[in-house]
Amino acid sequence: MSRRLLVAAALLSVVPSFPRLSAQGFPTTPPKPTRLAPARFPPFKEATLPNGLQLVVVEQHEQPVVSVSLAFRAGETYDPAGKEGLAELTAELLSKGTESRTADQIAATIEGVGGSLSASAGPDFLTISVDALSDQAELVFALLGDVTLHSTFPEGELALARTRALSALALQLSQPGTVAQRFFSSEVYGRNPYGRSATRESYQAVTRDDVIQFARVRLRPSGALLVVAGDVTDAQARELATKAFADWHGAAPANPALPTPPAHPATSILLVHRPGSAQANIALGNTTIAPTDPIYYSGRVATQVLGGGADARLFLILREQKSWTYGAYASLHRYRGLGYWEATAEVRTDVADSALAELLRQVERIRTDAIPDSELVAAKGFLVGSFPLTIETASQIAGQVANAKLLGLGDDYLRLYRERLSAVTALQARAAAARLYRARALTIVVVGDGAKLYDRLKALAPVRVVDVDGKPLTPADLTPPAAPVALDPRQFVPHTDSSRVLLQGNPAGFTVSEVRRSGDSLAYAERSNLAGGVFQQQTTVLLNPTDGSVQQVDQETTQQGQKAETHLTYRGGRVKGSSASPQQDGSVKRFDIDTTLPPGTMDENAVPFLVPALPLASGKSFTLTFFTPSENAIKTLTFKVTGPASITVPAGSFQAYQIDVTGSRLPFTMYVSTDSLRKVVKTEFVGQPFVVELVK
Amino acid sequence: MRTRRMRVPPLVGGVLLLIASIPPTLGAQGGRISYEAFALPNGLRVLYSEDHSTPIVSVDVWYNAGSRNERPGRSGFAHLFEHMMFEGSAHVKKGEHFQLISRAGGSENGSTAEDRTNYHETVPSNRLNLALWLEADRMRALAITDENFHNQRETVKEERRLRIDNPPYAAAFVDGMTWPFDSVGCFAYAHTVIGSMDDLNAAQLADVQAFFDTYYAPNNATLVVVGDFRALELRRLVNQYFSDIPRHADPPPVACAVRFSPGLMRREVTDQHANLPAVVRIYRVPSHADPDTPALELLNIILGQGESSRLNVAIVRREKAAVGAQVAMNPFDSRRGPGVLLALAIANQGIDVARLDTLLAAQLDTVRAAGVTADELTKAKNTFRANFIHNRETTLGRAEELHHYDMFHASVGELNTDLDRYMGLTADDVRRVAAKYLDPANALVVIVKPPKAGSAQ
Repeated sequence: MSRRLLVAAALLSVVPSFPRLSAQGFPTTPPKPTRLAPARFPPFKEATLPNGLQLVVVEQHEQPVVSVSLAFRAGETYDPAGKEGLAELTAELLSKGTESRTADQIAATIEGVGGSLSASAGPDFLTISVDALSDQAELVFALLGDVTLHSTFPEGELALARTRALSALALQLSQPGTVAQRFFSSEVYGRNPYGRSATRESYQAVTRDDVIQFARVRLRPSGALLVVAGDVTDAQARELATKAFADWHGAAPANPALPTPPAHPATSILLVHRPGSAQANIALGNTTIAPTDPIYYSGRVATQVLGGGADARLFLILREQKSWTYGAYASLHRYRGLGYWEATAEVRTDVADSALAELLRQVERIRTDAIPDSELVAAKGFLVGSFPLTIETASQIAGQVANAKLLGLGDDYLRLYRERLSAVTALQARAAAARLYRARALTIVVVGDGAKLYDRLKALAPVRVVDVDGKPLTPADLTPPAAPVALDPRQFVPHTDSSRVLLQGNPAGFTVSEVRRSGDSLAYAERSNLAGGVFQQQTTVLLNPTDGSVQQVDQETTQQGQKAETHLTYRGGRVKGSSASPQQDGSVKRFDIDTTLPPGTMDENAVPFLVPALPLASGKSFTLTFFTPSENAIKTLTFKVTGPASITVPAGSFQAYQIDVTGSRLPFTMYVSTDSLRKVVKTEFVGQPFVVELVK
Repeated sequence: MRTRRMRVPPLVGGVLLLIASIPPTLGAQGGRISYEAFALPNGLRVLYSEDHSTPIVSVDVWYNAGSRNERPGRSGFAHLFEHMMFEGSAHVKKGEHFQLISRAGGSENGSTAEDRTNYHETVPSNRLNLALWLEADRMRALAITDENFHNQRETVKEERRLRIDNPPYAAAFVDGMTWPFDSVGCFAYAHTVIGSMDDLNAAQLADVQAFFDTYYAPNNATLVVVGDFRALELRRLVNQYFSDIPRHADPPPVACAVRFSPGLMRREVTDQHANLPAVVRIYRVPSHADPDTPALELLNIILGQGESSRLNVAIVRREKAAVGAQVAMNPFDSRRGPGVLLALAIANQGIDVARLDTLLAAQLDTVRAAGVTADELTKAKNTFRANFIHNRETTLGRAEELHHYDMFHASVGELNTDLDRYMGLTADDVRRVAAKYLDPANALVVIVKPPKAGSAQ
């Protein structure tokens, strides 16, 4: 070996022991963290006013802003059974009128000074928040006092708030992820109020008296928490609070003990049958701990490693490695009572069993295997590092203080939060996972197409099946009935109905439907005209006069002067012909159709004919197969019947069943009269501005 | 993952203003920012502001490049380039930038506007070194590979579909902003930030490299650091990480002369995603540094911000002619060159779009002729001041403010005096700029129509 090579070898062996620097001094690897500055959570002062109101003041004079929140133990858990949604509606109405200000005046007053006021209800608490510049502190307290003490809860505002809540609910229920969460809560918590969710019926059951009573009983000074943060002094905040709430009295409301959530002896699956769902939404988990349990910190770290984000195991395995899902996460939730943890993923139906098995494997793995240092460091780095980013502004600080106080997390919680997370070891995190994740007693909810999922899932754990309303189904119910539902031939009598189409409440066109009989032929015809003839459609469906099955469909659509025709024949379990339908972009989508159909398949154009002829009764549900010519697709539609209730349209007032239809491109609701000759009185489309109403 | 600062303001329904008078509230002003500045020999300018109240720090780099620097046929480049900046650099693997910041507990983002492109991180203060190192590595040596380029070009095209082509009215709004400028005299603002699909498709890897070489140079960038650090330590790290990045030739200046067109211009467009017709009235306004800007900002608030704004009260609530109405000025960011003020209203069902435009024009004419009330002026000042202060509550907000004053004002020192200009304005000032800029001869009216057929189902 030459001398030069020796020198080179010596150099090579030495270089790695120095920090590697480029020639100019730029490090070639990321610099190491410097010493972590001690957490300096802003100090705060506490006081209890004579009326029992608890006051916390966080002085922060960096910017001339003030953020005030007033929280009550008046969250959704205090909704009486059957009136879920009461706390939420009460919160919304607080800023919608007082004895001295209308809703408009409240908005204009706070907006005039560049501030904001809002109220909302969570599971445990109802919170009113006001933000403004600190020179408006007096106005902030005056408004807060006014909406807290003198709200009038006008009937008209309740009706508006309820309408908004109902349309938000309808939209949520069309989203499988929300459906999964609702079932997961009720499975995990049972009769415990944390398990309940608002429904259409419960929103409708809430009266103005309920709201007034709820506010009177639950919104009391004693037991409430007022947090003032920002550019105010402690003395000033006390004075303003005392003045705003001087005439307010009342003992703390009763806080009845909550029922114990049900014991889950073994892991089981609740399969929520959503016919035609393209994906399976999985949620699994169990109840965990009271908010003050010190195992929280280790549990938080373990949950971060398992599924805290795009850098955690569930995401990296289920998405990055397997491409089964867009995202998979785990989270630990604290309530004032017993909290819960859950893992969630939205996966393709055909890999639902593999994905669930992998989720269970990962839960088991984090409970039993040592967590490698690299993962522990990454998880703690995120948790510890991100905390100070959440306490920058006065309103963020107020939020953190309120959370700690309301959950009873102790006076040193915020001060020691980072240190306690930093101190968690790999062994502690694993032990916490073993205790918190009850691997052998998990509640699993899967929302998806039961017909495709049932057999896949039952290999993993015992499966119960329900429909999206929670009604138990047997595995036999999952496959659409082999024979069509018998239609009532008494409805096949000739008649004509005229309806108007409303767009955002304004007339936009009409539709005329007609049932014709001549000799032994039965036909359903429909003629629509929208936007002054810009859209026109005529449909004729020939039907078997005995059982109402479809024989032939002819449809002509004219849109923007462009014409498209559909002609189909249904025979011997097949549909043949061609379809054409104009699209929004001006093009026409065409299909040559020759498709085998399941027995009993109807044409989707016949829905308005068919629904009145179903054996309608409240609480019944029908699942039927349809062919949709415009998409060349076979769909399973579910018709769910409730009511009857009174409904008024231009043609008059009717007792009508409400029929919620899912599985079509847009979910919709039909109202069908209970007369001996039933009529479609009204049709609404979820999330769309269209309504069709019977005129005569 | 990264949200661009391309805010098309959402339309909101509103509440009628009933209150009789609002007390004037212009006492304490607040929002003051102290700062220092230095520069490296390679031309990198650094502004910093120490604040030890929370143990976090924001690192914010603005490159003096945006869509205004693009050439005809190469629109969308500045933004495409911004995406490339997250695809790895000499010592940072693809995806590692995000991972390193996340594991530090930090947050990061970037955005592109007409005049500038920004990149920022907010991290716990003990990771200031990491954020600076990441910015230095990509300023020094970006990983410009064919694979990254193609991948990000597709991502940007998807973003265009998602943000511009798919939501109703977005295309009319974003394209409309460019129409007052003719592409011969002022290409800088005569094309969109997101760029055209054709230009994106035509983009070549060599173009990306050339863009980097021209604009991503220390002498064309400003680094702002705000938060919990010591000045000495900051200077040491900046020197170590940035000082040996070579200076490039100064980029060519951008010229942009704006000409007022001789009369009212009208255009009609069809929006496939719109269910209801809409009107966008677009007015040319001067550069941000122009003395008329503060009064225009207050006019903007009075006409179109919030539930008690003129357009909401008159057109949405009283006439029920629109489902929503708003006003915005230079919605992406301020400009050194001429900009636009846009008034947008979406027609209610059954309302003729011509009538809506007449109502909109009448509101603007009224403010030109009769000016604004004392209450309106007070509300506008309060709203402006509250926004001004809220913008300065966070370290990142203050960093962006330092950049804003550095780039768009005569001197960064105006940072602490600018609010006085607004608070000193009178109703006459607002009326004067209304009369001057809301002149029909200065308007481009865009009528947005839904596709001809309403399909009921």
